[in-house]
Amino acid sequence: MEKTTSHKILSLAYSLESSKRYNKIKTFFYNLLENDEYPYKKYFDMFMIFVILSSVTLLVIDVKQQIPVWLNEFDLYFVTTVFIVEYFVRMWIFSDIHKIVIDIYEESEYFDKEVNLWVLFKAIVKDKWQYISSISAIIDIVAILPSYRGLRVLRVFVLFRAFKMLRYTKSLTGFLYVLKNKKFELMTLLTLSTFFIFIAGIMLYVFEGDNDNPNIHNLFDAFYWALITISTVGYGDISPVTPEGRVVTMLIIITGIGLISFVTSIIVSSFNERLGVLREDRVIQAVGKKKKLTVVCGYGLLGRLVVNGLKKEGVEFVVIDNSEEMAEMAYNDGHHAICADASKEEVFKKLDLDNRISHVLCLTSDDIQNAFIAVNVKSLNESVDVSARCSDHEIAKKMEFAHVDHIIMPEEVAGMMGAVYAGEPVAFEVLLSIIEEKEKTQINEITVTQESFLDNVTLGEVDFEKFRLILLGVFKQCEGSKLGEFIFNPDDDFLLNAGDKLVCIGYLTAIANLKRKM
Amino acid sequence: MKSLQNIVLFGYGTFGRQLYKNLSSIGYQIRVITGLDDYVEVESDCEVDITRINIKRNDDIFSLNIDACETIFYCAMNQTATNLFLVLTLKSLYPDSNVVAISNSNETTRKLKYAGASSVIDLYEATSRRIVNVLTKPAVSKALDEIVYNQNDLQMLEMELPENTFLEGKYVNEINFRQMGLILIAIIDKELGYELIFTDHRINHKLDSGDILVIVAKKEDIVHFKKKLIAS
Repeated sequence: MEKTTSHKILSLAYSLESSKRYNKIKTFFYNLLENDEYPYKKYFDMFMIFVILSSVTLLVIDVKQQIPVWLNEFDLYFVTTVFIVEYFVRMWIFSDIHKIVIDIYEESEYFDKEVNLWVLFKAIVKDKWQYISSISAIIDIVAILPSYRGLRVLRVFVLFRAFKMLRYTKSLTGFLYVLKNKKFELMTLLTLSTFFIFIAGIMLYVFEGDNDNPNIHNLFDAFYWALITISTVGYGDISPVTPEGRVVTMLIIITGIGLISFVTSIIVSSFNERLGVLREDRVIQAVGKKKKLTVVCGYGLLGRLVVNGLKKEGVEFVVIDNSEEMAEMAYNDGHHAICADASKEEVFKKLDLDNRISHVLCLTSDDIQNAFIAVNVKSLNESVDVSARCSDHEIAKKMEFAHVDHIIMPEEVAGMMGAVYAGEPVAFEVLLSIIEEKEKTQINEITVTQESFLDNVTLGEVDFEKFRLILLGVFKQCEGSKLGEFIFNPDDDFLLNAGDKLVCIGYLTAIANLKRKM
Repeated sequence: MKSLQNIVLFGYGTFGRQLYKNLSSIGYQIRVITGLDDYVEVESDCEVDITRINIKRNDDIFSLNIDACETIFYCAMNQTATNLFLVLTLKSLYPDSNVVAISNSNETTRKLKYAGASSVIDLYEATSRRIVNVLTKPAVSKALDEIVYNQNDLQMLEMELPENTFLEGKYVNEINFRQMGLILIAIIDKELGYELIFTDHRINHKLDSGDILVIVAKKEDIVHFKKKLIAS
């Protein structure tokens, strides 16, 4: 009899292990409840917050007013059901029972032993007990209790429904984390203040408890008075009447001021320490959904200009700078910014280099640092497009060796411009206005799309004059997305095809016009 | 060809060195001036004419015996403040001189322009555009590389129309520049004052001698075109 049961359990466990559908459903629920990266978790969280708030509101209104029957039933059945289902689903996804079953069977098979069902049962219960005894699970189960209307005192547990919200709002958990970080300091303070309250309470009770003070009936009153006084709240319902009592009061008021400012400073400093991390989390979450992210390392003079340019072009980017001050500045300028060392892998792992990042720009003022960052990125993922700034030709060669895709030398670019100025000041002006894009006439590229009016047409047939554009040249489409050779000033019988890129100079509106026509 | 002007380059830092290289490759004679105790790194394979002076003293600058009218001054000192001071000095000593200064931000550019610099080259502005272009407009960035940064076949240049050429009195639209291998990007029309006008066909201009054409073309086509101008 026992053998057939254990056999059935084992085969069930194996079929669950191999069932794709079962695993898919379980992963879905796991993502929905636990995975912050999962896009639909947000909606589930919002739904749960709504349910919690509505039930809390109903229970509060219920104190003084009669609520309609249907609302009462909504609270009693719907909310409770949601909570109970959530509780069990969480318990379900906490661990895999079938894995425990398989483990135990395999172990007993190894030793040629019969499987003891009792041992199996204990192992499963022990595993799930880990979930049941966790704080969040206890809050969950206590939050279900107020649904039982028989006992009025259970109403108090409505507050636990509010506690449940902690799970659905990340900033609140962040706050708790801050407190947890300073556990030692806060515990010390708590012990200290308990000690003071204890001593002061007993002293007052000894001095005034024997009928001197009509308001102090017992030791509890004295402790209550001590807490009210030490916290500087000072209701005044109990106040000392003897000189000895007053001396005690003076002493604990002074201690109280010290204690309170101490607590405040601990929490504030802890927040300051955490602020960077909290902000980083927020940035990573904000850019988390974006594919094709550009990472700008370094927020110096060049970094700032590049970032502004990227913003104008609508490129999604995140700024990394290892100086707190610069990261702060980028943040205040309204960009996503992280204070981190870009030459370490950590920050790129967090940003999910493999799936999200398409470009990395190394723009710090230090060539060696740039090379370091570039090598770091390339060694993590070779396919990411890396541009690096450099002002030394020898370092540039080393960067080439590290397969940096674009090496950009500000001094070289500006030096070239300076040389152009010497012989040809007018050409220089033209160049400047084209390159710096400060005038309305700009240089831009237009890709020929499939079956547009430019597809399969010779250049002679296109009237660029009518479009008010100057055609500089064409890039023929090449295999992959790489650009082919630049064909300068092609002839009239040059055939355009989809995928070709035209490089034109013209008014912004003229370019937009042509793009629209495509 | 225009006669090459003299060049005086103040400062020989990373930018100064690069500028020196570019200018000397075109064939300019360059004098390099640095401060008395500026650190100067000269590559072993090139001979640079370096004079050290005290930039704060007017006498030192006068002692260089510069013919200011025939000279372009480049101010490429390492410090913004020194650059600014230098522009002020040069402009006060030689009011009509042609001073080009290097800048590293919009703010500095404004100050340098105010001090009287004829032109200001922003070290980062062009670079930042280039970086952004690499990401967003790869074709544009590659085309610009070909035309501006790589000194190969393609060139952008300006040309003043001499008198009595076959272009005289003709309208821009009437001439097929493209067939000659040239792309006319902009002109300065003397009749319309010295404003730079892009030739994106919004207005049809009449060409006269003295107008300046800005052209992008292959080197051989430019030579061809010049010959044709002279011959006519």
